[in-house]
Amino acid sequence: MDWGRVKFFLGEVARSFTRNTLMQITAIGTVAMTLMLLGAFLYVRTTLADLGNGMLAQIEISAYLEPNVTPHQINALRAAFKVDPRISSAEFVPKSEGLKELRARMRGIIDTSLLTENPLPDKFRIRVRAPQLVPAVAKDVARLSGIQRVLYGQQVVTRLLQLGEVLRRVGMALIALFLVVAGIIISNTTRLAVYARRREIGIMHLVGATNAYIRMPFIVEGLVVGILGAVAAIVLLVAAHAMFWPRILEALPFVRFNTAVVDVPSLILQLFLVGAIIGSAAAWVAVGRYLQT
Amino acid sequence: MISLRGVSLLYPNGVRALDHVSLEIGKGEFVFLVGHSGTGKSSLLRLLYREALPSSGDITVDGIRVNRLPSRRVPALRRHLGVVFQDFKLLADKTVWENVAFAMQVTGAPTKDILRQVPRALDLVGLSHRSRMYPDELSGGEQQRTAIARALVNNPKILLCDEPTGNLDPANTTEIVDLLLRINLKGTTVVVATHNQAVVDRMRRRVVRLENGKVVTDKERGYYYLGLGQGQVLSG
Ligand SMILES: Nc1ncnc2c1ncn2[C@@H]1O[C@H](COP(=O)(O)OP(=O)(O)OP(=O)(O)O)[C@@H](O)[C@H]1O
Ligand SMILES: [Mg+2]
Repeated sequence: MDWGRVKFFLGEVARSFTRNTLMQITAIGTVAMTLMLLGAFLYVRTTLADLGNGMLAQIEISAYLEPNVTPHQINALRAAFKVDPRISSAEFVPKSEGLKELRARMRGIIDTSLLTENPLPDKFRIRVRAPQLVPAVAKDVARLSGIQRVLYGQQVVTRLLQLGEVLRRVGMALIALFLVVAGIIISNTTRLAVYARRREIGIMHLVGATNAYIRMPFIVEGLVVGILGAVAAIVLLVAAHAMFWPRILEALPFVRFNTAVVDVPSLILQLFLVGAIIGSAAAWVAVGRYLQT
Repeated sequence: MISLRGVSLLYPNGVRALDHVSLEIGKGEFVFLVGHSGTGKSSLLRLLYREALPSSGDITVDGIRVNRLPSRRVPALRRHLGVVFQDFKLLADKTVWENVAFAMQVTGAPTKDILRQVPRALDLVGLSHRSRMYPDELSGGEQQRTAIARALVNNPKILLCDEPTGNLDPANTTEIVDLLLRINLKGTTVVVATHNQAVVDRMRRRVVRLENGKVVTDKERGYYYLGLGQGQVLSG
């Protein structure tokens, strides 16, 4: 390892970096804002997705059987549910059992002793592996022979799924917008840095430095801006989390958020990665444009 | 060492800076390029270090076909050439030592080579005692010597100078010309574009005169004006 070379290179980067401090701070700030938004979005999305999944996981499909269904048909249905990979469990609930459940649920609300005749059909209680699968599975089950009617919380499921999708899209659009803004600001910073160093760049060209060598310090600069932006974003996010999260929980006591589902180290790593990529890529593009000889 | 065959250079604005120039410069030669302002001296030098490409004709520099050289190979060509300008092109925030070392550092030279070559180049131009000074602490002649040291630090076989004494007083001019001569005596091919009649006439070297982008005279042991020495020129 030629330390003299490393030292010279880092010296050049530092020299260029400190030449336009104000612009660099602006760029770092923009990256930090963008990454904070991204970090908060990912955190909240993971938590909400878990919450939604929790609610959806409780949703079951009730597949009511025709009154004259034969035991043979019931067995056939049971076998069909077993081989469907989307279905995690399918439990047969005979009408007597269903009545008992109904009585339990209605106790105190109506006088269940009035139910002298059992009005309920036999049913299968089906659970699926992922909430998104509920509508499709319900539709397929309804087509099987021996099934009269299929019920599930249609509206709840579709609404929750739709809401999640809308939130996801809005968040992504916002983040994309911010990433573009951060990229433009870093590109501009790089352009200024290139302009400030045009004499040096001219001499470098003259004495036979390669384009790759000339570009390198600017890209490293962009990388540093991205990484410093990520550091700032993480620090601010941690502080904001410590300050506001308890209050949010307090304000919404009936919602059981489970933040343990957020993989914090991997979230931090993601923010670093995004910062590094946006910083170096924007610098790369800018320097490529302004170093054409 | 340097060869131009039927070289023309047409700038995008329509100016024909060079018009079918053919010129051979051998290894170890010392050549003056003279001619009125705007006759294409700088343009010719620019073609040699591939700052410009000819519109037609062939250029060979140290065995490299410059007009066929792909852009990515240009750095390799420039490492075989030293180039010096009227305005020195030094970096104000670097010392003499750092300015000279810069040419090696940015081409990725190993530190041990830099530590060996830079003192050698500074010694050659007589600036060892100024190595920690900044350009604005130096005389014009010392600044140009720094630029020459930078041009020579990679041991090029060819040194191209565009008006190297244009900004200097007579004393500094003499100093720089003597230095160029010493460099030439060590085997480096030197090409100097200049307006300085006194220098050309005192040196009595090969003189190539350009007029309107054409070579009009090419004389060994020539004078600035067509075969005439200083003082022999009639007024007008
Ligand atoms: N980059 C350029 N674009 C267009 N025209 C140019 C360019 N550089 C030079 N020229 C023109 O080409 C011609 C030759 O210019 P050049 O600089 O080679 O002359 P020169 O002999 O070096 O002059 P001087 O002695 O004043 O330095 C001039 O007419 C000039 O205006
Ligand atoms: Mg000129």
